[in-house]
Amino acid sequence: MNLAKLSFMNFKASFKNYVSLIVSLAFTVLIIFNFFNLMDSSVMESLGKINSQNIKIVIQCVIVVLCCFMFFFIWYATNVFLTKRKKEIGVYVFMGLTNQRIGKLYMLETMMIGLVALIMGIGFGILISQLFTMILVTISDIEVNLSFEISLSAILWSGLIYFIVYMIFVFKGYINLVSSSVLDMVSANRQNEYVKQNKVILFLKAILGIMILILGYYYAIKEGGMETMANALLAVVLVIIGVYLLFGGFIPLVYQTLASNKRFLYKKQRTLWINQIIFRMKKNYRTYAIVTVLMICAVTALATGVAMHERCQMIHDFENVYTYQIFSQKDNLQNEFTKVIEEHNDIQYSSYIEMLQVEGSFASTTHQKNTFALIPYSQLKELAQDSHQTFELKQPQDDEVIDLSHQYILSLITTDELEDIQIQNQVYNTIQRTTVPYLGYLQEQVSFYCVSDDEYQRLKSTETSLYVYNYKIENTKMLNESTEDIQQHQDCAGLIKVDPQNDSNQWIKMLYPVCIFMFMVFIFASGSIIFMKLYNDAFEEKERYRVLRKIGIGTKTLRAGVQKELLLTYIVPFLLMSLSSYFSVHALANMMQTDLLSVNILSVGVIAIFFVICYGLSVVIYCQNAGIYEKRMS
Amino acid sequence: MDKKKVVEIKGLVKNYGTRGFQTRVLKGIDLTIYENDFIAIMGPSGSGKTTLLNILSTIDKPTQGTVLLDGKDVTKLKNEELSQIRRDKIGFIFQDYNLLDTMTLQDNIALPLSLNGVSSQVCISKCQTLAQIFGLKEHLKKYPYQLSGGQKQRGATCRALISEPEIIFADEPTGALDSKSSRDLLERLKMVNDEGKATILMVTHDALSASYAKDVYILSDGMVKCRLTRGDSRKEFYDRIIDMQVSMGSDFS
Repeated sequence: MNLAKLSFMNFKASFKNYVSLIVSLAFTVLIIFNFFNLMDSSVMESLGKINSQNIKIVIQCVIVVLCCFMFFFIWYATNVFLTKRKKEIGVYVFMGLTNQRIGKLYMLETMMIGLVALIMGIGFGILISQLFTMILVTISDIEVNLSFEISLSAILWSGLIYFIVYMIFVFKGYINLVSSSVLDMVSANRQNEYVKQNKVILFLKAILGIMILILGYYYAIKEGGMETMANALLAVVLVIIGVYLLFGGFIPLVYQTLASNKRFLYKKQRTLWINQIIFRMKKNYRTYAIVTVLMICAVTALATGVAMHERCQMIHDFENVYTYQIFSQKDNLQNEFTKVIEEHNDIQYSSYIEMLQVEGSFASTTHQKNTFALIPYSQLKELAQDSHQTFELKQPQDDEVIDLSHQYILSLITTDELEDIQIQNQVYNTIQRTTVPYLGYLQEQVSFYCVSDDEYQRLKSTETSLYVYNYKIENTKMLNESTEDIQQHQDCAGLIKVDPQNDSNQWIKMLYPVCIFMFMVFIFASGSIIFMKLYNDAFEEKERYRVLRKIGIGTKTLRAGVQKELLLTYIVPFLLMSLSSYFSVHALANMMQTDLLSVNILSVGVIAIFFVICYGLSVVIYCQNAGIYEKRMS
Repeated sequence: MDKKKVVEIKGLVKNYGTRGFQTRVLKGIDLTIYENDFIAIMGPSGSGKTTLLNILSTIDKPTQGTVLLDGKDVTKLKNEELSQIRRDKIGFIFQDYNLLDTMTLQDNIALPLSLNGVSSQVCISKCQTLAQIFGLKEHLKKYPYQLSGGQKQRGATCRALISEPEIIFADEPTGALDSKSSRDLLERLKMVNDEGKATILMVTHDALSASYAKDVYILSDGMVKCRLTRGDSRKEFYDRIIDMQVSMGSDFS
């Protein structure tokens, strides 16, 4: 029998054991393929040049993230697979095979698995690509026509990336096998020598871990100016290190302390599962840490998506308060413009305001380059009434101003400090900042300050005033009908028209479903990583459970022990994730100025549901793989 | 005799293989074990020792015949009841110790009791007492990989004894031990038996181990060939067992 045939037979015989590996590999291929396919699809072209360019950048970023993710996932999966196969393969040593040939056998077998996963991934990817694009477009609320299309380059690209990453680890496994000794191979699963870990080291790790984690949380929610970005980055690094140390130190320490308290231990099935967890901890803590970090990423990704979506909507609403904003040198032209517009359109509401343009050179440093405008308090109050907007601004004193700000997608400056301004050598104290869109689109483009009426009159004598007439029409699709008429009006010095259809932020809408998608991918990955780990661990437990059944421990007791062990396996990363995600989402909420607590709770809830399902499945499969239900014992 | 019958075997037959290709491994065995007995079962390989022990310890089921354990016919019980009997009435000692490598010796010994819902205080004190008897007091905090074979087997014996079972089944308990550790273990088993704390059924191929028992049954070809009973001297009993082995001429292993 030649090597290829032997490996094919091996592959066929143990196919059932590799199902979880193949499915998860295929899943990663499927996702990457779908993003590549999306990038090439005609949906992009129909979005306009700038939008499609921006979306392509987003998708490219997502693909890079997914590739990194795939890299680690394949690393992890092949590693688990290698340890599991090492012992089996090691038997061939006794049949006289050299390490090289065993390595080749492994390579062939693994390549078959990889190939099946690739074919499945691309195949199912093609099948669901239409659905994927449809869901993405529907959620992002973009109007495009869909047609079924498969891009060949997407197949090639996703296949190539997967192939390269996969081969790296196949080759790594080969080298590992070639360089390992016979003893290594035969007893790959039996390195049980360090059950307990040194308490002092654990204690130090635990203290360090908790401190680093708290520091990370602190930096995440610390408010500040431009240093927020650096803080956020620092927080990410600190939390990752903290999570690792916590799983490497604090959690084993807790279990070991519990285990040494025999009065506690010898109750219920504790002696079984607590010892089991301690035993597994040393090998598995990295996995738990990865899963925790992955889940924090997932929740943060989802929160980012939701926040982006909300911000976009808010900015859209902000800009679309008025359809037309007409400038004029003359005042009291409301009725004339109304007449012009009403020839073709119905007016929903309108407002009017007088403003003073101030050259930046007159002002203090922050505004030196931008022109900014002053408006009187009483007129603003009137305008708010006309355009049905809330008005909760305090009456400013003569040396005070109110900042009329606008909405940002994301702001790194999370402190809410009000900056004083200086106009013509006089310093004004900023007493309040508002983001109510009193002046709509114009407010986004120009810095506005509201001053007291007396002060306005005083400044008016030195500067030129401008009059702004704002109109919102009923049917914005008809907006071009009146444009010419307005522009041809003799007193019209300028016109801003806001078309709700022409949204330059449309590409951000696409971020929303992409983020939701990333959330699902990360959650699926973290669930399946724990699941796979347990799936494989269970085989190693077979012998132990056989002994336990031999000495008369009943199936019910054993199952109860397994249930508790697995519950803890799932719940500890989950709890740590819930805590950490609160801080990461809080930090995000600060930057995006959006309340994301409900998103946080919702996403944690979704993860909880998914984990409960994984947990239930794990218990059933663990018990089966560990042979708890088997009748024959000898 | 007014001693309590712990195990009563009647007409035990066991066939292996499928219909038409059956081998009869046990050909009708009758055996009664009374309280505080110490019985060794010897026999050449293939004589059915292990099969008999497996049936007695409810791991395997006989083709014919009954096994009464504490008055109950274990061949007719359901799985759940069987594991309850294994848990409460039987203690096991295996050739390869079968201690769990994930827990300390103390946890291993206390395991059957603690899983039975006995209060942890009782578990701890019983474990201490047994560890004292078997000379394991200093080793309780160690893990199995830190112990010698003899220590592990003594630990396994403590585990078998801790739930105070009706009977202890020992399958080649000295099979993996050197002669010094073997003697050490057997002396302690004998002591426990003499003190009236345990009824023991031991399967062995080793004449020295068998000589620590009160009675030796020699199994051959699926039947009880003969029974030897110890007199006052263990040395003399040992010689008799050797003579018997020589006269049978089979390979005892």
